[in-house]
Amino acid sequence: MSPMALRSLNLPGVGTKYEFETDKGDTVAIFFTKTGTIQMYTLQKGCHTPSAAEMTPVEARRLGNILTGAIIEADQESVEIAFSALADLRVTIHTYIVPRAVAGKTIEDLRIRAKTGTTVIAVSRNDKNIINPPPSFVFETGDAVLVIGETDQLRLFEREILVD
Amino acid sequence: MEGIIIALFVCLVLALASKYLSLPAIPFYIIAGVVLGKAGLGLVVSDQISSFFSEMGLIFLLFFVGLGLRIDKISENRSAVLTSGIIDLNVNMLIGFVAAYMLGFSFIEALIVAAAFYISSTAMAVTSLIENRKLMMRESETIIWLMVFEDIAMIIVLALLSAGDQNLLFFAAKIIFVLAILYVLAHYGKEFLVSILDREDELPVLFTFVAVLATAGFAMFLGVPETMMVIALGAVFATTDPDAFEQHARPFKDVFLVIFFVFFGITINLSGSVSLFVISVICVLAIVSKLISGVLTGIYLYGSASSGLEIWANTIGRGEFSIALAVLYGSPPVAATIAVMVIVTSFVGSFAAKYSGTLLHGFSGRSRHHGPPPHRMRAGH
Repeated sequence: MSPMALRSLNLPGVGTKYEFETDKGDTVAIFFTKTGTIQMYTLQKGCHTPSAAEMTPVEARRLGNILTGAIIEADQESVEIAFSALADLRVTIHTYIVPRAVAGKTIEDLRIRAKTGTTVIAVSRNDKNIINPPPSFVFETGDAVLVIGETDQLRLFEREILVD
Repeated sequence: MEGIIIALFVCLVLALASKYLSLPAIPFYIIAGVVLGKAGLGLVVSDQISSFFSEMGLIFLLFFVGLGLRIDKISENRSAVLTSGIIDLNVNMLIGFVAAYMLGFSFIEALIVAAAFYISSTAMAVTSLIENRKLMMRESETIIWLMVFEDIAMIIVLALLSAGDQNLLFFAAKIIFVLAILYVLAHYGKEFLVSILDREDELPVLFTFVAVLATAGFAMFLGVPETMMVIALGAVFATTDPDAFEQHARPFKDVFLVIFFVFFGITINLSGSVSLFVISVICVLAIVSKLISGVLTGIYLYGSASSGLEIWANTIGRGEFSIALAVLYGSPPVAATIAVMVIVTSFVGSFAAKYSGTLLHGFSGRSRHHGPPPHRMRAGH
């Protein structure tokens, strides 16, 4: 993948503009306006009129989460936390529902930490929460697990552990 | 005092209505003033308190102009600022001046009408680009830099008008003296300024308010125009943390500026001072002359008249700066003319900006389908 040329521009009185062209020649432009809203424009290659959407900061973050692939299904949520003081450290906490294939296995059996780098920090089963489950913890179908890690590690978790 | 409360309450209701209709609020405030004041029901008269608040409104408006003047950013984009700006300045100043002079205004009055005629409303242009989702158009960058150029032109006009018949050398020396003080304070006090702005208590807001007022007061004491000095203060503060200053000064600007607009309307005398014919001609020309400068700019920059129409549609509205000129230097006939011009152009501008897409489609629909794809703004490769 070649790095796309991202153009950023400060427009006096309006705000900041980010624009880039995709490999296929479509253009995406994002404006953080001084009024606090975020406008996103997309212009299909060969078209003259862009289409636009205006978002609140919360909506824009949600869109960002979808685009980074953090949200897979609507009932599976993820929260990304950025610590700007720690060299822009970003960790994501994601919930997953345990599928049948994983049921009956322990955290140790699945070698979650070794294979993916993520950690299971809590399990919710029948409205009861188990915080910091031990390595010997046995999963059951329908358990909701809370997993922490970087976005890439979580993707690995989805591929390596959940689809087994 | 009751007058201000009545006027502000009416403005609040009108502001709600204008947001609901997505029309600019400034003409509503002026109309409210005209209806409530001298020319209308005579319910509200201006007094010492209202003139103080109005003056605050003007001072904070100009402080914001100063905050927006990031000298480094402007010099980086010099060519973008200059090309469209010079066409716009020449065409509109010339048409405005000749028309006003021929319609019977005196030389100085005609100059003030021409300046008010030339300066589009930055607030309306920016709001229109955002609300009508036009930020991605290539023309919108041109419009934004055009507004920056007009701001600078307005500062020069203010400086020239405020010099009046003073000894120019002495006047310039005084201005340079105050500028030097401001610069030294901001340069050596930068850390102190930033430490104040970072606080969570009432200090940042109090400091911003006092700094603006004290600068205006000090300028009056020295006999230097306070308008210029407040702009300079803004420009100097912009070298530290302009966003923080904007945030702390915004509530003052928002409230006082509404009082400024409504009391401008209240003091307007429409009857007898100037003929309807004169006002109508100025209003029509105000729309036509921006059309000429817009189309010329569009052809010059993009080789396209429809680009020019888009520039025109978003810059028709005259607003805050035209009124500032009327309040500061306008005789009653000049003020009445400018008031009507602001009302008419801001409504026409708002509709033109909203429907420019449809307008342009009708205008050049055929060439758009058959012509080669026009060059669009692209990311730099």
